[in-house]
Amino acid sequence: MDGRMKEALRYLGYGRHAVDERTMGLIEDSFAELEEVADRKFVYRIFELIRDGEADIRIGRMQIHSASLGRNMKGCTHAALIGATLGIGVDMRMKRHSLNDMARVVVLQACASVMLEEYLDECQAGLEKELEAQGRFLRPRFSPGYGDFLICHQSEILRMLDAPKKIGLTMTDGYMLTPVKSVTAAAGISTTKEPCHIRGCESCGKRDCSYRRN
Amino acid sequence: MLLDRLGKELLFLDGGMGTLLQEKGLQPGELPEIWNLEHADEITDIHRRYVEAGSDMVLTNTFGANALKFHSGKYRLEDIVKAGVACARKGAELAADGREVYVGLDIGPTGKLLKPMGDLAFEEAYLAFRETVRYGVQAGVDFIHIETMSDTYEVKAAVLAAKENSDLPVCVTMIFDERGKLLTGGDVPSAVALLEGLRADALGVNCGLGPRQIFPVVEEIRRYASIPLIVKPNAGLPKQKDGAVFYDIDPEQFAGDMRRIVEMGACVVGGCCGTTPEHIRKMAESCACLPVLCAEAKEDTIVSSYGKAVTLGDCPIIIGERINPTGKKKFRQALKDHDIDYILKEAVAQQDSGAHILDVNVGLPDIDEKKMMCEAVEQLQSVTSLPLQIDTSDPETMEAAMRIYNGKPMVNSVNGKQESMDQVFPLVQKYGGVVVGLTIDEDGIPPTAEGRARIAQKIIREAAKYGIARKDIVIDVLAMTVSSEPEGAKTTLEALRLVRRRYGVRTVLGVSNISFGLPGRPLINSNFYTMAMLNGLSAGIINPLSADMMGSYHAYRALMNYDENCREYISRYGKEQQKDQGAVTAAPAQITLKTAIEKGLKEEAALAAKALLAAEEPLDIINSQMIPALDEVGKGFEKGSIFLPQLLMSADAARSGFGVLNEAMAAVGGSDEKKDKIILATVRGDIHDIGKNIVKVLLENYGFDVIDLGKDVAPDVIVRETLKRNVRLVGLSALMTTTVASMEQTIRLLRQRAPQCRVMVGGAVLNREYADMIGADFYGKDAMQSVYYAKELFGRGIDKQ
Repeated sequence: MDGRMKEALRYLGYGRHAVDERTMGLIEDSFAELEEVADRKFVYRIFELIRDGEADIRIGRMQIHSASLGRNMKGCTHAALIGATLGIGVDMRMKRHSLNDMARVVVLQACASVMLEEYLDECQAGLEKELEAQGRFLRPRFSPGYGDFLICHQSEILRMLDAPKKIGLTMTDGYMLTPVKSVTAAAGISTTKEPCHIRGCESCGKRDCSYRRN
Repeated sequence: MLLDRLGKELLFLDGGMGTLLQEKGLQPGELPEIWNLEHADEITDIHRRYVEAGSDMVLTNTFGANALKFHSGKYRLEDIVKAGVACARKGAELAADGREVYVGLDIGPTGKLLKPMGDLAFEEAYLAFRETVRYGVQAGVDFIHIETMSDTYEVKAAVLAAKENSDLPVCVTMIFDERGKLLTGGDVPSAVALLEGLRADALGVNCGLGPRQIFPVVEEIRRYASIPLIVKPNAGLPKQKDGAVFYDIDPEQFAGDMRRIVEMGACVVGGCCGTTPEHIRKMAESCACLPVLCAEAKEDTIVSSYGKAVTLGDCPIIIGERINPTGKKKFRQALKDHDIDYILKEAVAQQDSGAHILDVNVGLPDIDEKKMMCEAVEQLQSVTSLPLQIDTSDPETMEAAMRIYNGKPMVNSVNGKQESMDQVFPLVQKYGGVVVGLTIDEDGIPPTAEGRARIAQKIIREAAKYGIARKDIVIDVLAMTVSSEPEGAKTTLEALRLVRRRYGVRTVLGVSNISFGLPGRPLINSNFYTMAMLNGLSAGIINPLSADMMGSYHAYRALMNYDENCREYISRYGKEQQKDQGAVTAAPAQITLKTAIEKGLKEEAALAAKALLAAEEPLDIINSQMIPALDEVGKGFEKGSIFLPQLLMSADAARSGFGVLNEAMAAVGGSDEKKDKIILATVRGDIHDIGKNIVKVLLENYGFDVIDLGKDVAPDVIVRETLKRNVRLVGLSALMTTTVASMEQTIRLLRQRAPQCRVMVGGAVLNREYADMIGADFYGKDAMQSVYYAKELFGRGIDKQ
């Protein structure tokens, strides 16, 4: 079983349980379908980071009060703002299947999350390499809406990235990203390498979560 | 006058605005339009420099100045727009030196995604643009320039706002990627069809790409467009250094590339991001003496949706006829019940069967046709990218649907009666479209082919008075029932040949009417269909789910060499042959209905249900096999031995079993049992509806009548429907903390106005405590919990362990 499949199963809540063949087939089909309809796009921009206090930072002209982001960006001189999307085609496909195949919708949405994370990792790796050549290091990404990094920063991030124009990434009045399968995030940049960052799932304190990766 | 010069001589636009403002200190994320008021001199100076460099047309610094961005801030939109126009006018006056320079009101996208995939309503977008247009017009701009649009729907709102609120020329450019695609998936022909339909005065491409990457896009636009072409590329692709974005094509190279673009047929050229007055100066010097290539009028008959264009050409295409209540009891009921999903499923089934365009007719005496048509059109465009044919005899419905349609629609229909042409042609003139012209007039349907051809000619001539080209008319010579009109089929075929040959127009025909009153109708229909195609039918309005009709269609294409190497034919019918042979050797394994449901096997469940019907009553089958199977799966899900995909596959299998049983019950007239009604909705502001849809499927399996109000539903709509339909249970879902507030608001309103109603809630951010806090009666941590709650509430007992 490849990494993608494992991740999809994790999103579907299988944990370590055995999976039936039909679900496996559905996952494979869904990844294939996504390859056809997803239109991956990525945008980033680097801003100076100024620290006004433990939990108060400024990325460009965006002021953020967040202890978790403050911790995450400790020692950073800059931050990259990031936006990525799988495009509107995925939303439409999910809507279409929801008419008569909800199992497919649920699997498709899990696979789309896997694909989006993969894509972000890939883009970030490229950026990481570029920065390392300049003696700078990229920290793991952190998205608004997690911890105490408020979701209301979404609109400012989109504007600073010019995301609607550049990659067609917009948001609703309720700060939800549209297309749905999209991410915005901030990632710190420092001149010293912090070894062994704990990232994503493993960095979360909720150890009894059924979606936990281990 | 700009209009006199557009397309006849080469005109130079200006270059980047944001780039120069950033040099002057504009920060990323800051709203540049505020500079019209705070730094008017700087803005004026930029315009001046462009005019000095040779720009004939300058665009105001109002790209993001719309009502959505500027209504709560420190400055009024009106002041920003008017100051922007004043700066441009002043800059032009300072430098024009006797030349005529035109000031264009620049309009960019709202930065929001429109419904149904986003949350901005089409009319809201229209109103936002309208406000900017009105201020621009009051301030005296010379033209309106809509640019950097990546969504055909949003651009339509903007063009309508410009056209309806001014008499000025309207230029439109969109942003395409290297593959010639818009960010929302549209392509060049669909965008061109839409914009020409809306009567834009010039169209083209800007931003996104550098001049070289834009060559192929320019070529493709040129291939489809009949109006003047605008090209405004970036100074290369964006690069980043030390956090700053820059573009690295220098003025010399830019000028050389733009020269090539003018030679390709562009007649309004300028620059976008990264270009400076120096780029424009070099470009103007390099291109000044080039001749202008006039755009030739293209003759293709094209309809479009947001995502694709369909050409009615020599190879016939299929218009699916099934979204039409005529003679369909179930469809009529679905319309009365406001069951939009029924319509959407018909659309998807027809698309999967090979339709190219879908006819949409929702006319029924006792429903609000206009409202239903608009809702159907909007929702259909979220599940299918096929162009739609708006089919109605009510002009008001026609206009409303044409307005909100995302693309250039097919319109069904106009006829030779003066009254009909007076009503329909102004709409086609305004919104664009390919209109079906029926060969009937005040004197009825002529009995001869010649008579019908004459009406076709009358329609074509009258359309020309409105500037509607022949390519935008398709003639329906009408198929008469052959059982009552012995010469009917022959006349129709002759008329097809005649209008094709004489007027060169494309044709359309509702095929199945021909066999009315005869036995074996598919036989007559499919043969007549072949004959019609052979006689010049461009688009048959047929049932794409009919194997006979599709057989005729694919055979015709193979025989007439429209299907290269018979590839399509083989891919469709090759498999069938294998299946036939396979069926002999492998007998279907016997599988019980219960097992089929537990294993989530859709087709097997239907087959097993059918087999059981021979000996048992439908209700007995439900109680002895289906319900126990669903319960078993539900328990497994709770225990953690079965997971969500399997639960849903089982639900789907059960649904296909129920489908068979329901039909059997309906056949004996016994399915009128009153079901318990439940309303489901995703609350206002929330567009994530997967959870709600899961709950819906499961509740339906347990025999509840689910009224699905959709996503982003306002509290008062939920309350209104609850009262109107006398519903006792409402299920609400919300995904994020930001939308739980509107869930709470909905519950409060329900308590006030429908106190007898219970409310269950679910969604990723909710838990028991949170649900209690907002006053819900029940929190379902997963979909099965809502089934148990509903069963308990409606007194069906709980068989949960």
